[in-house]
Amino acid sequence: MRPAPAEPEAALVERAQGGDRAAFEELVRRHADHLYSVVLRFVADRGAAEEVTQEAFLRAWRSIGRFEGRSRFFTWLYRIGINEAKRRAARQPPATVVSLDDEPIPEAPDWSEAPETRLRHNDLRRLLEDTIRALPIEYRTPIILRDVEGLTTQEAAEVMDVGEAAFKSRLHRARLAVRRALDEYFLEEEE
Amino acid sequence: MIRRLLANRRYMREHRWTHAHLSEYVDEELLPDDVARVKAHVGICPHCRRVLATLRRTLDGLRSLREEPTPGVADSVIDRLRHEP
Repeated sequence: MRPAPAEPEAALVERAQGGDRAAFEELVRRHADHLYSVVLRFVADRGAAEEVTQEAFLRAWRSIGRFEGRSRFFTWLYRIGINEAKRRAARQPPATVVSLDDEPIPEAPDWSEAPETRLRHNDLRRLLEDTIRALPIEYRTPIILRDVEGLTTQEAAEVMDVGEAAFKSRLHRARLAVRRALDEYFLEEEE
Repeated sequence: MIRRLLANRRYMREHRWTHAHLSEYVDEELLPDDVARVKAHVGICPHCRRVLATLRRTLDGLRSLREEPTPGVADSVIDRLRHEP
């Protein structure tokens, strides 16, 4: 027997708005793992990320009647999750904050041709993760949504509830700040 | 002299504009005329060429952080939902 085709999301949302818990639980099954991955970039550990994800879905369930369908359900849900994660992250701000200096370091080596293995090295992975975490929150969010999680510009701007121009500007500054952190990394590696 | 000053001013204007639009260029979100504008400037500006090349590598690194979603979170969310009034 062929499995039943997946019910369209809009129909699930409508049923959930009518109080159908089973429909909402299907929405949870579709989105919980992805939301957890996003939230994990904002909070300190997996336990906190799981709590924030649960809290986000609870809020979504309580307020689904107010969801008007002007945006896609997952962007509305991500917005709730990220706001919750930001509240949690604000209690434990990062020890260091990355400067948004966007200019290259003149004496840094040209690492644009560095072999792939160097760029995927564990130290480098940690550096990228730490740099993202140390970005001011309004710059951290675009880079997580667009570059790490792979949302489109339109989707990510929608999650952040900002216009695309403002989103692109923040994303660009954040990327240049991370790029500069890599300048520093390769400069230190060379010395 | 004036011609050189004007050329320099145009170069700096293109430099600032290109620097501000490199992300959109990499994301292929620029209009064709603007793509040509970036290409023209990057062709003559070593500074922007370097930033562009390393920006591309930065994005490769950021994308490599993407992880497969962790399965199992949905069950804990549903469990909590069922215990909420």
